[in-house]
Amino acid sequence: MRLRRGRGLIRVRAPRTLIAGVGYFNLSDLSLGPHIVPELRKQSWPAHVEVDDLSYGPVAVAHRFLEADPPYQRLVVVAAVDRGLSPPKLRCYRWNRVLPEPEEIQARVAEAVTGVVDLDNLLVVVCQFGALPEEVLVVEVQPLLLGPGLALSPTVRALLPEITARLRDIVATSPHELDWVPSALGGLQAQELAR
Amino acid sequence: MCFKNLPIDIDDQGRMTLRNEATFGVDNAPMNGGPKPLTDAKVEELLAKNGYIQNVDFDPVTRVAGALAFHAVADLEQRKVLTTNSMATLFRGYEVIMLGRDPRDAIFITSRACGVCGGVHSVTAAMAIEMALGISPPPLGVIVRNLLLAMEFLYDHPLHLFLLAGPDYSQLIVEQTTPSVWAKAQRAKTAGEEVHGYATVAEIMTDLNPLSGGLYVEALHMTRVAREAYVVLGGKYPHPQTIVTGGVSTTLTLQSFNEYYQRLQRLFDYSKKMVAIWDDITGFFYEADPRYKEVGSRAKNLVECGIWDDPDAYDAKYENCDTWGERRWSTPGVVMDGELITTQLSAINSGLEEFVEHSYYEGWEGKRFETDLSGNPISPYHPWNKETKPKPSGQNWKERYSWSCSPRWDRQTVEAGSYARLWVTAAAQKLRPNPFMESTGESLRFLMPKVHLPEMELEWKIPDTWNAFERNRARAYNMVHNCAAAMNDWLKGLDLLRDGETEVATPFEIPTRGTRRGVGFWGAGRGWLTHHLELDGGEVANYQIVTPSTINASPRDPWGHLGAYEEAVLNTPILEEFDKPEDYKGVDILRTIRSFDPCMPCTTHIYADDHVISREVNTCACGVDED
Repeated sequence: MRLRRGRGLIRVRAPRTLIAGVGYFNLSDLSLGPHIVPELRKQSWPAHVEVDDLSYGPVAVAHRFLEADPPYQRLVVVAAVDRGLSPPKLRCYRWNRVLPEPEEIQARVAEAVTGVVDLDNLLVVVCQFGALPEEVLVVEVQPLLLGPGLALSPTVRALLPEITARLRDIVATSPHELDWVPSALGGLQAQELAR
Repeated sequence: MCFKNLPIDIDDQGRMTLRNEATFGVDNAPMNGGPKPLTDAKVEELLAKNGYIQNVDFDPVTRVAGALAFHAVADLEQRKVLTTNSMATLFRGYEVIMLGRDPRDAIFITSRACGVCGGVHSVTAAMAIEMALGISPPPLGVIVRNLLLAMEFLYDHPLHLFLLAGPDYSQLIVEQTTPSVWAKAQRAKTAGEEVHGYATVAEIMTDLNPLSGGLYVEALHMTRVAREAYVVLGGKYPHPQTIVTGGVSTTLTLQSFNEYYQRLQRLFDYSKKMVAIWDDITGFFYEADPRYKEVGSRAKNLVECGIWDDPDAYDAKYENCDTWGERRWSTPGVVMDGELITTQLSAINSGLEEFVEHSYYEGWEGKRFETDLSGNPISPYHPWNKETKPKPSGQNWKERYSWSCSPRWDRQTVEAGSYARLWVTAAAQKLRPNPFMESTGESLRFLMPKVHLPEMELEWKIPDTWNAFERNRARAYNMVHNCAAAMNDWLKGLDLLRDGETEVATPFEIPTRGTRRGVGFWGAGRGWLTHHLELDGGEVANYQIVTPSTINASPRDPWGHLGAYEEAVLNTPILEEFDKPEDYKGVDILRTIRSFDPCMPCTTHIYADDHVISREVNTCACGVDED
C-alpha cells in the first residue's frame, strides 16, 4: 500500500487484515459466511490479508485475536443475518463498538460459551473482552432462503461477485480512506450502504 | 433389594429375572416420596382470591445452556412454592435423524447435539457401536478417550460455576435480592484465604460479578486452557473428528502428552482454588441463614453411568459391563434415599425407562426386546424398545407441556449430575489403587500435586443435606476428581507409549445382515449419558439418547410424580428480601434450577412454524428432548 505524502511516495505497513465468514452450516442463505470462506480462499489476496472461518464460539474467537502476533488491525466479517429487510440486501458498515447493557452482554456471553454462533454475538462478546481489531467492517446480506439447505439461493449466490469486489475494495484501501462505509447504529443495526 | 417398583429380582450373582410372570404395566403406581404440588384446581382458586399468590414464569431461564422455561406458582406471603412445571421448549430429534444411517454417522451427527460437550456424544456413540459390532479399542485408545473427557469437564465446570451459576452468588445479585446477606458477607472471614486469596466472602462475591469480576474473567481464560489440552490430543473441539469406532484416530507422541500435561498442571491449582471458593460460599450461606440448606433440596436419588475406563478391563462387551464398569475412575451406580443400591451397569440399564405422557410425543406400541444382551429383563419403556414420535400440541399443565420425556429409574424420580460421580464413587469403595484418589465409603480423598500452590489433600464428604449449594460445591470437587483421573490416565498412557503399545484403534467392518444392539454408558459434564443403538442390516434401526438434562428437566411421569427440577423448586423456600410482590426476582428458584447446570435441547437450527430460529436456540443439547 502506498500513500502520497508531500512530493514523494512512502511505503507504509498494510494493516494485518482478517476476512472472516460467520454463520451456521447448511442453513441455505444463512450459511453465507461459512459458504464464502472456501471460495475466497481459492483467490489470491495481498500478503497482509488472511481468510478464515470464525463460525465457532465467540469466546474462542476473542482468545484467537488476543493471541495474534502481530495483532490484527482490521476485521472484515461476511455474514447473512435476517433483519427483516427486503432480500437480497447487501449492506456494508463499520461496526461502531457500541455495546448493549451489561445484562444483555452477559446473556450474549452465556450463549457464546454454550455454543451459539452468531454475528452479533461475535461482535459483542469479542468487543466486551477487548479483543476486536482496531477496525471492524461488516459485509452483510439479508437472506432470502432461511430454511435448512446445502446451497445458497440463486439470488444470494448472484451477489458473491459483488461481495468479493467489496472485500477487495476494502483491503485495498487504508482505514482512513474508507469513508464510504457508514457506521452501524447501536452496535447491532446495519445501515444501508451509502455508496 | 435393588428394585422396589419394577418386577425384577436380582440374585447374589447379579443376575436379574422377571418376578413371577409379572409385567411392566403402568397401572400400579410406584412408591415415590417426592413432594406433592397443589392440584391445578386449588392453584387456580388461590390465584383468583389471593394477591400474594402469583404465577412466576421464567421463559426462557437465562444463563443456562439451551431452551428451558419454568413455570411456578408461588405464595409470596407464606414464601413457598405451590406448584411447578419444567418445560423443554425445543425439539431436537437426533434420534429421528439417525434412523436408516450408517452407524458410524452417529459419532459425528450426535456430537452436534451439544455445543458445550460435543465430545462426549461422539465417544458414547462410538461405544454403542463397538458393543453392537463386538470390537474393543486398544488400551491407548481408551486412555486418550479418558484424557479427552477429563478436559471436556475441566472446561465445563468452570464455565458453569463462574459464568452461568456463579453470578447468582455475586455481589450484584446478593446485594440486590438479600441485602442482609450481603451485609453479613462483608463481615464474614473466609476459611480458604491462603488458597484463593480472598479475605472476606464479600470479596469473593464481588469477583463473581459477571463480565467484570476477576473470577468470571479468569474462568474464561481457564476454559481455554482445557480446550487447548483437548485439542492437543483430539485435534478439534467441540465436535472432534478423531473419535472413531474402535478407538481414536489421532497421532500420539511423547510431545503431545507433554503438551497435555503442561495444561493439566495449570488446572491443578485452579481446581484447588475452586474448591476453596465454593466451600466458603456454601459455608457462608448456611451460616447466614440455615434455611439455605432447603434451597433446591430434594430426595437423595441419583444415577450415574460412570466414566473413565480401565484400559485393561474395558472390552465393550455388554456381558462384562458390570466388571469394566466398576473399574472406572468414576464408579457407576444408583443412590436412593442416600444409600448406594447398585454399582452394576446391567442393573442400572434394566432399571431405566422413559415415559411420554406429559411430553409432546406419541407413545409407541409393541416391545421389540424383552431382555438386554445378557438376558436380563427390560421394560417396554426401556430405550431399546422406545420409539421417537414427535407430536407437537398446545401447552397444558394437566396434559403435555414439554419436549423432554420423563426418564425414571425403578419408576422413581432420579437426578443426574457430575456430583453423582462423587457420591457413588465415594460410597462404592471400588477405586483401583492409585496415588491421587481414595474412596472411603463416606468421602473421596484427593491428593493434588504441588504447582504454585502446595500439594494439598482435599476431601469431598457425602453431604448430610442435598440442595443447590451442595450441587455447586460438589461440582468444584469434580474439578479435582477430573484432575486426579487425568493424572492416572496420563501416567498410564506414558507407560503404554514406553512399552510400544501405540495402537489407538481397532479395525472393523459393518455387518450387512442381522440385528445387533449396543449401548454407550458414559457421561456428559452434567452427568449420565447413554446412547442405545439398534442395528438392522448394517443400518440404524433405532437410536435413543438419554442425557442428564433429560432426566433432570423431565415433566411429570404417568403417575403424576414431578421431575427433578420440579421437585427441587417445589421444596425451595423463598428467602429473597422484597417489600412488594412486584419486586420479587425469583433468585432462590433460579439458583435451584441453575444448580443442576441445565443443558437443554439444542440444535443449531430449529423450525418454528415457517421460520428458522438460529440465534435464539442453543447448540448445547446435553439436554432434553430426546426423542
